[in-house]
Amino acid sequence: MAKIIVITSGKGGVGKTTSSASFATGLALRGHKTVVIDFDVGLRNLDLIMGCERRVVYDLINVVSGEATLRQALIKDKHCDNLFILPASQTRDKDALAEEGVERVLNELIKMDFEYIICDSPAGIEHGAIMALTFADEAIIVTNPEVSSVRDSDRILGIIQAKSRRALNGGEPVKEHLLITRYSPKRVDAGEMLSHQDVQEILRIPLVGIIPESEAVLHASNQGSPAIHIKGSEVSMAYEDVVGRFLGEELPLRFMNYEKPSLIKRFFGAR
Amino acid sequence: MQPQSQRNPIEIKISTVVAIAVILHDADLSVLAAALKKLTANSSDYYSEECAVIDVANIDCTALDWPALIALFKSSGFHPVAIRHAPEECEEQIAQLGLSIDLGTNAAKVAEVATAASVQSVVQPIKPVITSSPPPVVIDVPLRGGQRIYARGTDLIITAVVNNGAEVIADGNIHIFAPLRGRALAGASGNTAARIFTMSLEAELVSIAGIYRTFENGYPSLTPHAPIQIKLDGDKIDVVSIQSSN
Repeated sequence: MAKIIVITSGKGGVGKTTSSASFATGLALRGHKTVVIDFDVGLRNLDLIMGCERRVVYDLINVVSGEATLRQALIKDKHCDNLFILPASQTRDKDALAEEGVERVLNELIKMDFEYIICDSPAGIEHGAIMALTFADEAIIVTNPEVSSVRDSDRILGIIQAKSRRALNGGEPVKEHLLITRYSPKRVDAGEMLSHQDVQEILRIPLVGIIPESEAVLHASNQGSPAIHIKGSEVSMAYEDVVGRFLGEELPLRFMNYEKPSLIKRFFGAR
Repeated sequence: MQPQSQRNPIEIKISTVVAIAVILHDADLSVLAAALKKLTANSSDYYSEECAVIDVANIDCTALDWPALIALFKSSGFHPVAIRHAPEECEEQIAQLGLSIDLGTNAAKVAEVATAASVQSVVQPIKPVITSSPPPVVIDVPLRGGQRIYARGTDLIITAVVNNGAEVIADGNIHIFAPLRGRALAGASGNTAARIFTMSLEAELVSIAGIYRTFENGYPSLTPHAPIQIKLDGDKIDVVSIQSSN
């Protein structure tokens, strides 16, 4: 049975698209047929991070409004056979995302035997963000360890409870996961950043992972390759853990403790 | 998704609407404007279109500029729906502005009864409450920023956190078995005996029977880790720890 997962946050710039790209790639690398949809109509970033911006011909809005078929619009990822991207439109208005159209597209994707449908939500709580979460079975809430991001995540959790189809139909609620990104153990240690315990104490939903702050993410975005592909990096391992935990594996948290550089390390100027 | 049953186009039912009572003690519009400004800290959506009944019993309204008065309250975010205790000669003018006349017949008496009941409830705390109230509203999920819960005519019991930006309102008491970080308004329809209980006070605002308190300058120093009780003492909000030995 296909699962629709929304990646959302309320606040912008916290790492939704980066996380969507790596999470979808991680699922596909484990052999699951996955599609990732960019709901950020008007801005369009996912295709850049996935490195397929030159192959965009048709987009989500074209499919929603019946101007193109889903098969025409889906872009196959260059690294994984099981991964497809449905890009957003840069030229159209976000109000063109009609709810019936979005539902039809999602149903078609389910019929195409996709196991995971990842909806990359735009920032904010307006129409595009609501459309991304309306049909979700599960939600990954991306949060930075700082108060405004946490508060916006709290707000979006309330909206999921109120506006998702699952909530409106009175069925089982949307399953919520907390993903903390741009985590810097050093700054937490120095008291400059909320700890993951602080964030959880406010939001009170299960933690699916912590992604450490890293320059590698920016580098990967510029290269058009999801961060999970940077083999051996903390970020890619952290995203692999997220995928594992999401699929039900019990994995200990990593990269969340600050180790002061030892004297020898400092002496030899390692890194 | 709506059930497609055959329905009358109009259904008429009795419904109770909660409105703010605005009691005027001055007929001078400039004085009122200044007071409103102070109250709402200049934010026009402070009262977010809440229905308001303007009580003019205490002022002389013979020379009052009604349209200007209504416009003043609208600009502060109120939605005036009725004038209470309006003198007869002004009724036509008020009706022309699209507002209702509220006779407020027993308002004074109701207030008297309410205080009498509250005094009684100190002596006999349980009986009078249980006989008349509907069952309490119980909430088991965290309340998030932007969410609002109202327990009409009864108590509100919440077993999860009330986060910043959430608003919980009850006509009776509010019991929160977790931290209170948002706003809590007990005794919303005027019950001055209503109380608020929480495991940890981190609130933005608490209010009982319309008297509110914010915590701009921090929270009162209380016994750490002890539950908190908030009640009305005269016209002042009292915040105290609940000692397990009591």
